[in-house]
Amino acid sequence: MLRSLLTRRPDWTVFITACVLSIALMLLPGTAQMRVAWFLQHVVLAPVSVTVDAAERGVSVYWENQKLRKRLAELRMEVDALGSMREENVRLTRLLGLRTSAPRDFLAARVVGRSLDRLGGSLTIDRGSEDGIEADAAVVTPDGLVGRVERVMPHGARVLTLLHRDCSVAVRLTRSRVQGVVQWQFGDLPILELLYVPFQEDVKPGDLVVTSGLGGRFPDGVRIGTVERVGLAENGLLKSVTIRPAVRFERLEEVLVFVPGAKGVYPEPPTIIAPAESAAVPADSAAVADTSAGAGAAPPKPAGGTP
Amino acid sequence: MKGVRDAGILLVALLLQATLAHRIAIAGVRPDLLVAFVVYLGWMRGPVPGTVGGFCIGLYQDLDAPGPFGLNALSMSVVGFLVAKAGFRVHRSNIGVRFVFFLLSMLVHDLVYFAVDTAGDAGQLLRQIIFSTLPAALYTALCVLLLLRLVEQFSGRPLLADEV
Repeated sequence: MLRSLLTRRPDWTVFITACVLSIALMLLPGTAQMRVAWFLQHVVLAPVSVTVDAAERGVSVYWENQKLRKRLAELRMEVDALGSMREENVRLTRLLGLRTSAPRDFLAARVVGRSLDRLGGSLTIDRGSEDGIEADAAVVTPDGLVGRVERVMPHGARVLTLLHRDCSVAVRLTRSRVQGVVQWQFGDLPILELLYVPFQEDVKPGDLVVTSGLGGRFPDGVRIGTVERVGLAENGLLKSVTIRPAVRFERLEEVLVFVPGAKGVYPEPPTIIAPAESAAVPADSAAVADTSAGAGAAPPKPAGGTP
Repeated sequence: MKGVRDAGILLVALLLQATLAHRIAIAGVRPDLLVAFVVYLGWMRGPVPGTVGGFCIGLYQDLDAPGPFGLNALSMSVVGFLVAKAGFRVHRSNIGVRFVFFLLSMLVHDLVYFAVDTAGDAGQLLRQIIFSTLPAALYTALCVLLLLRLVEQFSGRPLLADEV
């Protein structure tokens, strides 16, 4: 009878057998079920289990990798943002340090505009006459002298940098105390020229150039740059000296503007500026520096720098 | 040749079920591609391969299943057998027929499974059917239809072909 059932209705036979086997497995005691399961898992279906487990691990690693890549990209962006903030913090801290050395006489300003020429001969800052800024006030950064205020508006001011032909500065060399006037050397390079230096004076490449304070427009001892090249002028009477500015004009973002004190004199130079020198120098040799174009807008201030 | 092809499809279904199903779950509802494979086996190969295949795959699922050992084997065997019997001479290439078959197969599978698992508690069985089986059956049917469409478009021939 069983044989005839198998031959005549194999589908039903297989189905009934599968059902009976399934029910039998369910009715087995727990330990026997565990044995059967162990046998199936570790003997019969071991290759299948290994393959599926490996694929699952591989896909999990892939997904995790994707998630970690995304997280890495986010963290990189965050690090970049933090780096930018840190740089800004350092910059502002330096400015603050400069300001706290003479809190009454400095005013921090943000650069909000630049001239269209390649060198950036003039800047626009966000402080003006309403903030106490006057024309011809010196503008500095912790690196050195930037230039002077040319025109003042109520809430802004135009600053002529050292890379402008109308901005000349009376300077001296810290090593040999040679004096002269610094002016931008016409061209496409941010190079300054030291004028009116007789050929017999002691000037060497690497000499530090600072403001002399003569003429009263700029404070004494503010760094200008370093001597880069020394030669002889065409007339043979004067030296031809080029100076590399200390300030990177194209990267300026914040500056400090000197605001004259109540007595109309400039304050003590900040500590980060070049070493102070107190030797008296004849005023007439460098006063010519402050007679440049546009200087007449403000009355001349008393010379002397350090009180 | 058919055996190799079916083994390949089973392997793909196993891999997808193990690696992808839980990643595309919606509110905890995930497609059951192994039930879909048993439907395919019963539908295309007949009641004996459908029942045997369903039993073996169910047994494999039972190794990790929380329910009684052998319960998946029973419900899968029932699905394989019933699909083979009911799907005889129907338009397998018709998308509506496919959808109904996959949906009903999931319902039958879960009905058998939960009927035993809940020990005949009708209230609990109804809750399971409404909140677990129906969403899973719909999701499985939709996923499988999409998968079939992709495979058939890619291979250029129907995976579930009508009988000649």
